[in-house]
Amino acid sequence: MDIVRRNNVKVMGAGQKAMVFAHGFGCDQNMWRFVWPAFAEGYRIVLFDHVGCGGSDLTTYDAAKYASLDGYAQDVIDICHALDITQGVFVGHSVSAMIGALAARRAPDLFDELVLIGPSPRYIDDADYTGGFTEAQIHELLDFLDTNHMGWSQAMAPVIMGNPERPELGEELTNSFCMTDPEIAKKFARVTFLSDNRADLPAVTARCLVLQCSEDVIAPQAVGEYVHNQLPNSEFVLLDATGHCPNLSAPEETVAAMKTFLQGTPT
Amino acid sequence: MAEEVEDLEDLFENAPCGYISAGADGRILKANRTFAGWLGRDTSDFVGRRFPDFLNIAGKIYYETHFAPLLRMQGFFHEVALDLVRADGSTLPVLVNAVERRDEAGHLRFIRITVFNASDRRRYERELLEARRAAEKANAELLELNRTLEERVAEAVEARLKTEEALRQAQKMEAVGQLTGGIAHDFNNMLAVILASINLLEKRLAKGENVTPFVAAARDGVDRAASLIQRLLAFSRQQNLAPAPLNPNEMVRNMSELLRRTLGGNVQLETVLAGGLWHVLADANILENAVLNLAINARDAMPAGGRLTIETANCHLDDAYAAEHAVNPGQYVMVAVTDTGTGMTPEVMAKAFEPFFTTKEVGKGTGLGLSQVFGFVKQSNGHIKIYSEVGHGTTIKLYLPRLYGVNNTPKPEAPEDTALPCGQEVVLLVEDDERVLALTEKMLSDLGYAVLRARNGTEALERLTTCPDIALLFTDVVMPGMNGPELAEKALRQRPDLKVLFTSGYTRNAVVHNGILDPAMNLLQKPASLDQLATKVRSVLDR
Repeated sequence: MDIVRRNNVKVMGAGQKAMVFAHGFGCDQNMWRFVWPAFAEGYRIVLFDHVGCGGSDLTTYDAAKYASLDGYAQDVIDICHALDITQGVFVGHSVSAMIGALAARRAPDLFDELVLIGPSPRYIDDADYTGGFTEAQIHELLDFLDTNHMGWSQAMAPVIMGNPERPELGEELTNSFCMTDPEIAKKFARVTFLSDNRADLPAVTARCLVLQCSEDVIAPQAVGEYVHNQLPNSEFVLLDATGHCPNLSAPEETVAAMKTFLQGTPT
Repeated sequence: MAEEVEDLEDLFENAPCGYISAGADGRILKANRTFAGWLGRDTSDFVGRRFPDFLNIAGKIYYETHFAPLLRMQGFFHEVALDLVRADGSTLPVLVNAVERRDEAGHLRFIRITVFNASDRRRYERELLEARRAAEKANAELLELNRTLEERVAEAVEARLKTEEALRQAQKMEAVGQLTGGIAHDFNNMLAVILASINLLEKRLAKGENVTPFVAAARDGVDRAASLIQRLLAFSRQQNLAPAPLNPNEMVRNMSELLRRTLGGNVQLETVLAGGLWHVLADANILENAVLNLAINARDAMPAGGRLTIETANCHLDDAYAAEHAVNPGQYVMVAVTDTGTGMTPEVMAKAFEPFFTTKEVGKGTGLGLSQVFGFVKQSNGHIKIYSEVGHGTTIKLYLPRLYGVNNTPKPEAPEDTALPCGQEVVLLVEDDERVLALTEKMLSDLGYAVLRARNGTEALERLTTCPDIALLFTDVVMPGMNGPELAEKALRQRPDLKVLFTSGYTRNAVVHNGILDPAMNLLQKPASLDQLATKVRSVLDR
C-alpha cells in the first residue's frame, strides 16, 4: 500500500520536527494554506487528505474501515510510520482533532503536542454533556443528506467540486479546493456526527492546545471547555474568530496562538 | 441627490430578493425588508447576528464546513441551495449567492449576500424528482409486465401448440380412417371381381365350357389390386424408385402422343420446353406417371375443354422460400402442368394431397393420384406447389433437384425380343408362403430352370451345402426366423459367387435405403408377372 499516494501526502518545510496537519469534514489539505507557511522554517510540514477527500485515492475507500474514526486514526499512524515521524506536532481541525487524539492515544510516541482546533468528542447532547445538537437535529441532518439529492448533494457538488462552466475562476481554487466525493462525504458526515470519543480524552498524554472559536455552532464553547477539562495536559484558548474555521477566517490569530503554545518546545 | 438615495434605498429594501450586508467578522450589518418579510421578522432582528444563524441545522453545518471556507478561499459562492428558518419555525428554500468585498490592500471589508426565494424551484425539483422516481417505478413495472407478458405469451403459445398437435393427431386419425376405408372399399371391389370370376370359373369348368374371359377378369382384378398397392406405396413414399439421370424435356416430348390421346379433342395441349434444361435424377416411369396423373386431373377440371400447358424450366429456390416450404434451397428443374379449368378453392387446395381426397364423382377417381405425385416428389427430395384460382385454372409445379455433372442421358434400349428370357441354371427358391412357393416354382420351371425349394433360411443353407450347382438364390425378404438379407449374407460367405435375387411385397429398410434400391441388391417386386420374373432372373444370372 502506497500511503503517500493513498492520502495524497505532501511534505515541506525546513525543520526537523514534524508538524502534521489534518483537515476536517468538508474540506481537504487546502484549508491549511494560510497556516502552514508560518511554520515552514522551523518544522517539517506534513499535509494530507483523508481518503475520500481532495487528492486521495478514492479507490482505497473501504466503507467498513471508515465506518468509525478509528479507521482515519489508523491512517494518521500509517502516515507517521511511513515518514518515520516521532515526537511531532499534530494539528487537527474539527473532526480531525479527535482523529489526532485517537492516534496519539494508540501511538503515544508519535506526537509530543496536539493542536485541536474546534474539537468535539460528541456532537449530540447527553445527560450532563452539552454537544451542541439534539439527537433529533443530527438525525435531521443525516436524513437530509440521505434524501435530498438535488438540494444538497447535487447543488453543492458542482460548487465544491469545481465549476466547469466558469473556467475563468482559477483552476486551483475551483478544482482543487475542498474536493469531496458526495457519496463518501455523506458517510463521513455520519461517522463524524454520530461519534462519541469522550472516553478517549483522559488517555491522551501529549500536551494539548484547544483552540476554541467564538460562536461556533458546530463545536460550541462548552464542548471546547469539556475537552480541555478531560485532557490531562491541555491549554485552552478562546479565539476572537467566529465560526468553525479560524484557520481560514482568522489565520493570524490561529498561528499566533499555536506559536505561543509551541514556544520553548524543541523544533 | 436625495431622490437618488431614496431610489437606491427603495431598490435595496424592496427588491424581489433578499440583500444582506455583513462585516468582515460575518456579523450582519443590514438586511433588507424583502428578506425580513420572508422570514417574518423585523429588519433589526438580523443586525449583529450571522447568516448561518437563520439556517436549519443541516444548513448551519454545511455553511460552516463547506460554504464559509469556500467563500473565504474563492471570494464568493454561487447558487447554493439552503433552507432558512422563519420566525414561526417553518422553512423557506432559498438559493444563496455571496461575495467578499475587499479594499485595495486586500483586507476584507464586507460580505454581500443575495438570497432568492427558491420555493417554486425547489417544488419543481421535487416534482422532477418525483416524476423521475415515478418514471423509474413505471419503467420497473413495465419491465415486470413485459416479463409476465412474455411468460403469458409463452404459455398461450404452448397451449396453442398443444391444441394444434391434438388437432393434427385427430386429422391424422381421420386420414388413416379415410385411407383404411378407401383401401377396404377398393380392395373389396377387386376381391369381388376375382371371387366372382373364380365362382364362374368353377361352374364353367364343371360344365367344360370356355373359361378364358373369367381368367382374364380374375387377372384384371389382381392387376388392379397390385396397382392399388403400388399407389399406396407411392403415397407412403416407400415405393422402390429406380432413379436414373433424366432429361425432363425429352420425357415430356416422348409423352406428347400419349397425352394427346388421353386428353381428347376438347383439350389443346401445348408444351413449353426450356432450352438448356438441366438433368434430374428420377425414376422415369414414375415421373411420367406423375405428369400423366396431373394431365388427367387437368382434363377432368376442364369438362368443356380448354388448354393444357406443360412447361419446363430451370429455377432456383432461395433460402427464404425453402425455409418456408420445408425444402432444401438450391437449383431445381420445374415441370409445371397448367389448365384453364375450374380451379380449386383454398379448402380444396389444402386437402389436395391427402389420400382418397377427391372432388370427382364416385367411381371416377380413387383420390390417390395427387397424393401419389406428392409422395413421389417428396421421396425424390423435390417440392410440389399448387397455384389455383377458382374459375381460371390451376398450375401444379413439380420441382426436382438438379442433377449435376450430366449432359446426356443414354437412351434406354428399346425391347426387341418379345420371347421370354429362359435358362437351365439351378435356382434355390426360398419362400415361407406355401402357395407363393408353389406358384413361383411352377413359373421358374416353365422358364426352364431347375428349382430347389426351401421354406426358411436354415433349410436353404442346408440345400446350399448339399447342392453345389445352385446358381441363384431367389429369396423372400421377410420370413420368420432368418430373413432374406441374413440368409443371403450367410450364403454368400459359403458361396461368394452365388447370385442373389430378393423378392418382396413390401420392402423394408434392411433391403431398401430411403426407398431407393440398394445397388448391391436385386429386388423383384411382388406380385410379379411371368414376364417380369423371366427378365429379372435372367438379368441377375447374366451379371
